Amino acid sequence: MLLFRSEETVNQWCAAHNIPRRPLVDLEQLWQLAVHWYANRLTVESRRPTSDEMVSIFNSLGLTGPFWDPKSDEWR
Amino acid sequence: MPKDDLATKVKLAIYEMTAETGRVPNSSEISRRIDIEENEVLTVFGRLHAKRLLLPEPGDPRRIRMAPPFSGVPTAFPVEANGKQYYANCVWDAYGIAAALHCDAISRASDGHTGEPLTLEVKAGAPVLKPYVAHFAVPAGHWWDDLIFT
Repeated sequence: MLLFRSEETVNQWCAAHNIPRRPLVDLEQLWQLAVHWYANRLTVESRRPTSDEMVSIFNSLGLTGPFWDPKSDEWR
Repeated sequence: MPKDDLATKVKLAIYEMTAETGRVPNSSEISRRIDIEENEVLTVFGRLHAKRLLLPEPGDPRRIRMAPPFSGVPTAFPVEANGKQYYANCVWDAYGIAAALHCDAISRASDGHTGEPLTLEVKAGAPVLKPYVAHFAVPAGHWWDDLIFT
């Protein structure tokens, strides 16, 4: 997961590496993902979200579809 | 000690030592910290890996490559926080270190294509928003197929 100044440099990077263009996430969405994943990481209770919890978190941030579903077979 | 208790103890030691020093500890250092045999630590590394909470260094199971959001090796995502320097595994984890430590942080990163310096900053529990974007090249179901590439 790389950082880019703009969609334009994402497209240039994808073309240069022959990698399909995939979803973009803005910094507010990225921060919310970080909080969901890591805010309790240094505590006894910490654990990775389950697959269903991941889908729920992604959906709450507008990240929908099979790309964001850990159980999806569409990309296999 | 029950398996889960030991795994929790090792996991907390990893994160506490990393937070304190900026460096992800190896199995020997964790063994000394919590006074258990190193082979027990290595067994727990395997269990944490199976739970997708840790990635041992390929070819050297005594070292930790990733204890997300922290990286055991220098990366393109250094993070300054609490007067220390950490390394994140990716752009998500650069914010993840600030979220995990609950503190202000700054990551002097760069554009993945042009190399232009781009700074990510967290102040008072919120990101300093800029029009940058993160590109997720790998779908969620495959992140752990090759986590280093992801």
